[in-house]
Amino acid sequence: MPDAPTPRLVYDAFLITAYHDFYKPAVAPRVIGLGLGAALLAELVFSGHLAVRSHEGRDLVLSEPRGGPPRDSLGLWLTELVQGEPEHLAVPDWLEYLAIADTQTKTAEHMVVAGLMVRGEQRSRWLGKVQVTYDAADALIAQAPLARLRRYLSTMDRRMPLLDAFLLALTEAVGLSKSLYSQMPSGAREYAEGHLRVLPAPLQAIRGHLTAAVADTAITGNL
Amino acid sequence: MSAPSPASAVQSALARDKLGTLSLLHFSLTAATPLTVIAGGVVVMFAVAGQIGIPLGYVIIAVSLWLFSVGYTAMARHIANAGAMYAFVARGLGRVPGVAAAWVAATSYCALQASLYGLLGFTAQGLIARAGLDLPWWVWALVAWALVGLLGTRAVDINAKVLAVLLTVEVAVILMFSASNFANAADGLSFGAFAPTALSGEAAGAVLALAVIGFIGFESPTVYGEEARDRKRTVARATLATIGVLAFVYIASSWSIITAVGDDQVVAAATGDLDLMFTLAGEQLGSAWVTIGQVLLLTSVTAAALSFHNTTARYLFALGREQVLFTWLGRTSVRTCAPVAASVTQTVAGGLVLVLWAVLELDPVVHLFYYLGTASGIGLIALILTCAVAVLVYFARDRRDESAWSARIAPVLAVLAMAGVLYLSVLHFHTLLGVEKGSLLPKLVPIVFAALALLGAAWGLFLKRARPEVYAGIGHGAKAPLVQAAERAAVPVGAAGER
Repeated sequence: MPDAPTPRLVYDAFLITAYHDFYKPAVAPRVIGLGLGAALLAELVFSGHLAVRSHEGRDLVLSEPRGGPPRDSLGLWLTELVQGEPEHLAVPDWLEYLAIADTQTKTAEHMVVAGLMVRGEQRSRWLGKVQVTYDAADALIAQAPLARLRRYLSTMDRRMPLLDAFLLALTEAVGLSKSLYSQMPSGAREYAEGHLRVLPAPLQAIRGHLTAAVADTAITGNL
Repeated sequence: MSAPSPASAVQSALARDKLGTLSLLHFSLTAATPLTVIAGGVVVMFAVAGQIGIPLGYVIIAVSLWLFSVGYTAMARHIANAGAMYAFVARGLGRVPGVAAAWVAATSYCALQASLYGLLGFTAQGLIARAGLDLPWWVWALVAWALVGLLGTRAVDINAKVLAVLLTVEVAVILMFSASNFANAADGLSFGAFAPTALSGEAAGAVLALAVIGFIGFESPTVYGEEARDRKRTVARATLATIGVLAFVYIASSWSIITAVGDDQVVAAATGDLDLMFTLAGEQLGSAWVTIGQVLLLTSVTAAALSFHNTTARYLFALGREQVLFTWLGRTSVRTCAPVAASVTQTVAGGLVLVLWAVLELDPVVHLFYYLGTASGIGLIALILTCAVAVLVYFARDRRDESAWSARIAPVLAVLAMAGVLYLSVLHFHTLLGVEKGSLLPKLVPIVFAALALLGAAWGLFLKRARPEVYAGIGHGAKAPLVQAAERAAVPVGAAGER
């Protein structure tokens, strides 16, 4: 199986949460939105465009004035939204917003431009409505992010890069632990836990709020 | 002149996505299934209690729960995981009593849900036998059990739509039957059912306990506290409206049955005919309405079983997420995000009860629906009382800008009211079960719940000593991992600082 890395965390998160194949199902639509929101936030925190700071018990998302704006429109969109807010909003608020702001379609359109997805249209036979679909341009590349994480877990011979460690945390948080750990050698969970425990505090905060938001979705049934 | 502050695009979008009072009312009313309570419970209350004070019992419980809801919804504004009563207990009285309350709550909801299969099997058996297919009650109960088990593991919004349609039809039929009863009064409109003497003696506690069960579901708007448009007002309004709507339906329908049959005859009529409500509808509106009513009762009990199934599954899921019970209970379905492990666990528990009752050839109505249902009622009343005490203690420490009415007066009155209801329910539990005073069974139920609470408390103490990070997350539900992570990260060198 090829291990060609896709260029961005949010693309990897899309392929893991929204792409379904024989080995892995797609997660519930709202959870996809939450997962992509968490990935986009984490990506911008990692690149230094956003910061997460704890203030009076809340994990607030702040714009980082250092450096220029993100070069891609997806990152720029979120960064400008953060800058445009009159008050700093907390991570759960941003996750909630990104889940309802159709981040899935925005990400998919980006991936079409990047050549990773192919846009299609299906006309409903009964209702006559046109439904837009996004399919992987190459099924093997679409499977690459999960395959990469599983290879880390199966070999356990090297340290995972930080963004892959966060991707692993995200995969667990959206409920795909079974796809991740199935048929892994003993010690894989401890190896993963060792990486997750040392995630930087902002990424830990995003991970924790993503886990809580997914659990809230299960409790309230707000899909 | 200062420029107005720019509007928040994100907060505006989030506000548009929030739930209003009517949406929350919809969720809570679909959790209650009024036809099950009226057709399956009210007529039996006349028969068991031998009194006509059922409407008065509903008035007393509605007022008690309204008093309770004042402090309950006030506290819900200040805590996370406000959907579960054990979380209130954990925050008000401490985590150890919180675990004890969680064990009692999970068992009570589980038992209440399983008990409904008795009424469901019995109703289906009678209805379908008339169509020529005579099979034992447990066959139909198992069919419903499989359906509920399947729906429980699917996306919950499908369930909500199913429940909403059923509820609308149910309420319309109840109001039509009630209006017909009032229009065909035996001796004119009587207010005897509201006289204090109409609810007295050995049966008062039994009536009150059964009345409380009819309102279970009123607490559910707090689950959606974080999604409410105005957390301060929306949840409180929806909870109050739920109690008000249910009280109106229960009081009107039970009063209408008394009016149609007569003060002096209603107890004998109910004792002789447990389908009294449908019989009256058949006489007044035509025989087709008997069948329509029974079919609706069947769907109503199924909806009730589904509703309590979801409630129990969410309780177990939250406890799994907190690692208070088995961690695997916190697993969700990948595709639907439903709490699938907790749902399957509840299905297995219900199935075991059904098989046990069928093998022992116990009566589905008396031994399953009444015994198990009323026993769970005792547990739920104890839970509400403990929660009321927790609210009182929570606000005694700090009023948190709540009014004296919300933080002091209403909680005190609620504790007194619910303590009275629990005392009478336990004292008169033998009436509820239809056994002699002093016999073993009525004593056994409170003892079982007390033992469960003690075991839960012991488990809480174990967690406190052996797994402090898990202990820290008790009562936080979905947010427990955040609290547990903070507990793990807390180091004695005061490294909290800025991220």
